[in-house]
Amino acid sequence: MEYEQIENMQQPKILSLDDDFSLIKRFIDGDEAVFGELVKRHKDKVRNIVYITLSNSNSVDDIAQEVFITVYRHLKNFRFESQFTTWIYRITINKCKDHLRKKSVRKIFLPLADEEKEPVLETINEDSDIIQIVRNAIGILPDKLRIPLVLKDLEGFSYQEIADTMECEIGTVKSRIFRAREALKKVLKPLEKELMT
Amino acid sequence: MKKFNTDKELLSAYVDGELTQSDKNLIEEKIKSSLELQKELSDLKKLKELTSHSVKRIPDSPFFETRLFANLKSESESKSKLNIKKWIPISALSLITLGLMAILKFNPNLLNNLIEEQKSNLAGFYKENLKPLLYAANLTNEDIFNFALYQELPLDSANQQVLKLGYDPAGTEYFEIKNASDFDQVNNLKKFAAALELNDEEVDMIDSIIGSYSEEISALVLVNDKNSVAINPNIWNTRKIILADILAFAKKHAGDNYSKILPTQMAQFDSRSIVKWVSEAKALKDDQYIFCTSDSIFRETFEFDMDEFSKNMEEMTKELAELHEQKALVNEYRFRIDSSFDKHKKHIDRSNQFEVTVDRDFIKVNVQSFGVDIPEIDLPDFDSIAIIINEATKNINVVHPPAPPVTVGKKNFNYNYNTVKPKKNRSSDVNLDSLMHEKNIEVDSKRSEQQKRFKDQSPETSSGYYFNDSLIILQNQDLKKEMDKLRRELEQFRKDLTIPQKDDSLKSKKSIQKIKATGVKVIEI
Repeated sequence: MEYEQIENMQQPKILSLDDDFSLIKRFIDGDEAVFGELVKRHKDKVRNIVYITLSNSNSVDDIAQEVFITVYRHLKNFRFESQFTTWIYRITINKCKDHLRKKSVRKIFLPLADEEKEPVLETINEDSDIIQIVRNAIGILPDKLRIPLVLKDLEGFSYQEIADTMECEIGTVKSRIFRAREALKKVLKPLEKELMT
Repeated sequence: MKKFNTDKELLSAYVDGELTQSDKNLIEEKIKSSLELQKELSDLKKLKELTSHSVKRIPDSPFFETRLFANLKSESESKSKLNIKKWIPISALSLITLGLMAILKFNPNLLNNLIEEQKSNLAGFYKENLKPLLYAANLTNEDIFNFALYQELPLDSANQQVLKLGYDPAGTEYFEIKNASDFDQVNNLKKFAAALELNDEEVDMIDSIIGSYSEEISALVLVNDKNSVAINPNIWNTRKIILADILAFAKKHAGDNYSKILPTQMAQFDSRSIVKWVSEAKALKDDQYIFCTSDSIFRETFEFDMDEFSKNMEEMTKELAELHEQKALVNEYRFRIDSSFDKHKKHIDRSNQFEVTVDRDFIKVNVQSFGVDIPEIDLPDFDSIAIIINEATKNINVVHPPAPPVTVGKKNFNYNYNTVKPKKNRSSDVNLDSLMHEKNIEVDSKRSEQQKRFKDQSPETSSGYYFNDSLIILQNQDLKKEMDKLRRELEQFRKDLTIPQKDDSLKSKKSIQKIKATGVKVIEI
């Protein structure tokens, strides 16, 4: 117990509200150098959200770059009504959705042979690694179910944070995560024995 | 089933630790009493563990920030450039507009000045190289006499275009530039002299009188190689003065013959008044010319220096002479109005400034509404006198010998500079009766036109005109006797003529040149 207290004291409050807000205020006041600090703090989270949302690492950095460019452009208009993280994750999710939408539109016009080979389309077979199987199963879920699930299970977001990020009701988040898990169970049913052991 | 699903949804939230305390207590109670829910909870926990570890953390991107700031920098630069580009046309237009507004504010007449400058430039273009009509058209005494009587001046040496002055029924002046009609006023001066029975000395005198006006007329009508005709409005008065001068001379020298051809009530000019009119007309220095060009008609101040031109003309004459010696081909100066006026028809300005009538072969300009202040001298109505003179002299014909060949050199150089050239090549067989008959038909048609105008202008004098016409016919009976005499002399002349013609064919080129150089003189009877 004493050890935990000491650890908490030594660990700096990197993501505290006050820190983000003070940096943003300095940025608004003209100190644009602090933007580097904001990027440094949040880039890993943003890149991970992009990665787990897309189930694909090809465009992660491109989309993450777009997220921070958008943040840079609009940071001076930040209204301090919500957490900075909520705002930046919302931007990230929206960028991911845009990317997926564009990709689905492109897919219509591309011949089958040229289609980008995605993990979600890989057939599940008994030889595959269990983690890969689950990842593929998550990948075939629709976006509106997959995103809340991965934000919860992989990024540890609360329902409220997911609702804020996805701009929906908390009950909707709860329902979607439940439906996502039900869908996963159905997909993974044939491998139940291997998975559950 | 629905209730079970609700329980499972609560179970999912329970696994995530997202239930309120009351819901948490409720579901925990249910789990305790339900094996199915217990199994479901177990499966959910396993699934959550699987999903939580299904995705590896994405590896770090060491150059992420470097790349981001490079992107931000390039974007800000392109954005600033874009902004500048975006504002360039707007700011340029704004600056131009403001500049124009400022210029027009402080210099409101700028546009007008520019327009005037352009107009003067255009006028200057058409004013270039203007030459007097004498030079362009080789104006002869015959031409001047015809101008005095019939108001027509040839504009080129070939007599293809004529300038005609006139008066509308309303009494306003107009001038026309038109193609010459087939009707030629041939030898009217000679006929006039013959009718007055002037001797050689008197003929020379009247020639010198008429000749003295040639320079003046020339300065009043200027032409150039850009199809411009500049007409001084004073030409209307000058024409009357010439006629008055001729009549004054005729009255002084012809005496009875003068009173024969002119009714006394219309020809009572005393010498003093004529001298006064002449001096008045010569004193009028009107430097306003009406410029008639191929695309516009305008009034412009122009001072023509006749002396300067005379000097140049001497030089040009020398040059011409040199060219003759070198037998080089000389391009003869010609004035031509573009006869394809059809294409200009749509653009004819019918503004209040002047009235322009254009047809294929002529252009007519009414100068009253043009605003030209034509200097007016109180002169008698000479038009009616001109008609009477024409009537009186129409049966008097002067016979020319056939025109000698004028071809010189191998290149057929047409030498007609300052020479009296027969207007038309008639049949070499001279037959006075046939000529008279033909001429009478032509004159009748011309006379009917003149009578009409005369009648319109002065109805009160028209009755007198018809009375005088019959009187003149009676008077002409005396002339018929003289004409019989003329016919006999003509026969003799024809016989004489055949001999030199034969000789001519034998003459060398040199001798032909000599004849031409001295000028072909009209043989007077």
